[in-house]
Amino acid sequence: MMTDWNAMSDADFRKEVRGFFEAEYPEELRNLPHRPKFAEIAHWHRKLHAKGWVAPAWPAEYGGMGLNAAKLLIFYEEQQRWGVNRGRDMGVQMVGPLIIKFGTQEQKDYWLPRILSCEDIWCQGYSEPGAGSDLANLRTRAEIDGDDFVINGQKIWTTMAHDATHIFMLVRTDPDAPKKQQGISFLLAPMDQSGVEVRTITTLSGETEFCEVFFDNARTPRENLVGELNKGWTMAKALLSFERIFIGSPSLAQNALGQLESFARGRGAFDDPVFRDRFAQAALDVEDHAALYARFADQLKRGETLGADVSMLKIWVTECFQRITELMIEAAGPDGGTIGPLQVGNVGVDVLSSFYKARPGTIYGGSNEIQRNILSKAVLGLPG
Amino acid sequence: MTQTELPTSDQEDLRLLRESARTLFERAGGSGRSRKLRDSGGGWDADMIHELAEAGVFGVTVPEENGGLGMGLAAGGVIAEEVGRVIAPEPVVVTVGLSLGLLRRLCPDHAKMEQLVGGETVLAVAWQERGPNGGPAEASCRYADGKLTGGKAWVVGASSAQGFLVVAQGDAGPVLVLAQAGADGLSVDARRQADGSAMGELSFSGTPAEQLASGDTVQDALADAVSDTTALAAAELVGLSARAFEITLEYIKTREQFDKPIGSFQVIQHRAVDLNVMCEVAQSGVREALGLMDGEADPKVRARLASRAKARAVTAAKKITRDAIQLHGAVGYTDEFDIGLYLNRALVLSAWLGDDAYHRRLWFMAREAEGAA
Repeated sequence: MMTDWNAMSDADFRKEVRGFFEAEYPEELRNLPHRPKFAEIAHWHRKLHAKGWVAPAWPAEYGGMGLNAAKLLIFYEEQQRWGVNRGRDMGVQMVGPLIIKFGTQEQKDYWLPRILSCEDIWCQGYSEPGAGSDLANLRTRAEIDGDDFVINGQKIWTTMAHDATHIFMLVRTDPDAPKKQQGISFLLAPMDQSGVEVRTITTLSGETEFCEVFFDNARTPRENLVGELNKGWTMAKALLSFERIFIGSPSLAQNALGQLESFARGRGAFDDPVFRDRFAQAALDVEDHAALYARFADQLKRGETLGADVSMLKIWVTECFQRITELMIEAAGPDGGTIGPLQVGNVGVDVLSSFYKARPGTIYGGSNEIQRNILSKAVLGLPG
Repeated sequence: MTQTELPTSDQEDLRLLRESARTLFERAGGSGRSRKLRDSGGGWDADMIHELAEAGVFGVTVPEENGGLGMGLAAGGVIAEEVGRVIAPEPVVVTVGLSLGLLRRLCPDHAKMEQLVGGETVLAVAWQERGPNGGPAEASCRYADGKLTGGKAWVVGASSAQGFLVVAQGDAGPVLVLAQAGADGLSVDARRQADGSAMGELSFSGTPAEQLASGDTVQDALADAVSDTTALAAAELVGLSARAFEITLEYIKTREQFDKPIGSFQVIQHRAVDLNVMCEVAQSGVREALGLMDGEADPKVRARLASRAKARAVTAAKKITRDAIQLHGAVGYTDEFDIGLYLNRALVLSAWLGDDAYHRRLWFMAREAEGAA
């Protein structure tokens, strides 16, 4: 008998989720400063899988929790509150929903259980060197050859590709289509083959979570096409609605603010009235953002679809997150360039790592400049 | 409780209230009416005061048994936003927040309550004083033997009000007294403000006044009424900002240069988006703060929430009205275009009761005090 989580009150559901995380989530994995490889979090994933909570958004018939939007928000809020790592969730967040919506019965039967168990670990092959903000410009080709697609080209910014068994990708299947958004397909491919080469990219913070993936006559069976040929663009876009509020959630900025406050207090930065004012600005920016976020969340809870205006959450919160981490650097004074945790009392605060962590937010998920383009046209109705 | 968490019926009440306030102001002539009043020397329109009273505007937060609508500050904020949208000069926020804020807390049965709610009279509130360096100072205005001596500053509506509610020092602590306009020994120096309104500097020398209340409750009521008024002024700024943004958006869609609407240029678009985001954040933050104030009894927490609201609203209004002038280009610098009226009103509302930097300071101190408690 499946639990009908949606029938619970919000408060009871929150209690249930919080209780589970607090009791079961391994202490050493709380607020991990880096993106873990699967092996590092496998013990947690097993618990989550046994509980049936790997895929909160999936319908129960596919092994998900079947949460509605309101419950889903609560689930994620609690996850972030307790510093629970999202795990290797590309499969659950991106491929699974796409297969559920557009896949064949065979594809569902085969892939979905393997996503849940993490037998397959997925990475996302969207961006290319010439297709970042202008994603539709992508050039990686897939051509039919007998029972296979043959793939040639290059993907980049592929998060954790070096720890993935499979890649889901947007590829060009019709180079002669009249518009570049047409002629793109959604394809699944195994990573473990001679035609696929992965190179990690070292980031500013010294991490290697991003990769380049090169395809040189790599192959994948034709049945790994999801949805119709040349319809991949529309499908990929259809999935973004919920992600857009999630990406604008206040939690990253809220956590950083808490860190800033304890660090600044320990360092005596609040003795400086200028710092106090800038802290107050940042704190109020976070509070008022949370109020705006609540307005959008409320829309979801009422069962309404979010409009393009939800993009404003992402713009505000990612820029706010950056300002907060910049204040941390400032409060660190001459230690502002020091790698690793800075001791304040008996806790260590890694200000540099927070600073770096805040940088990509304004670039990924549609850069903030792209978000401004979207808002100006779709919300403000500005021409051109 | 935040506004989004309110029961649907309450949200529906607020929606209806907003609609009726908007219709009332639009029918009366919108911002064009406000311009006319400014051009004829400032002050407000007596007929409009009656219309607003009939719609229940002044009594919005007054309990029903005292003739009001018995709604909360959130409802007051809805009305204040509409006042801000048309930059109406009528003293709605002052009356709801200060005059009635003091009377309903200190002497709810006084006849003036009903008159204020009914729009039969308008009272200005004199509570601040100016120190030797020009800034705010400790209160020193005295009330003894039924007479006031001393001065008061930053009195909104001083030129047109029928009387003054004055907070003064009595023989046994603070008192709230009522002085009539034109009373003996009362002189009013009206200092003209950027928006055409007048801020009064009052001077009393043996001015007769009726005592309405005395004791520490006067200070407490004043502090809480000032919190309410601060929050309502924030709401007024939110409405003002929203409308100033709409006017600007309309302008950049129609104004053409280089054979295109200037709103087709990306740099203009991104600036417009930033103003829009600023506007939405301010609206959500301020509405939430007012809603939380309704459910909060602790005056210190209410004061912190009011500071949060005013800090946000001023930051947004300053940015939006100033950028609005820039986006209008040269015509934005003329008096002919309405956008300047919004800038001028924002200047006055921002300075009154403290600007954003001031309220961030108060907010931070309140937060520290709560943390220490």
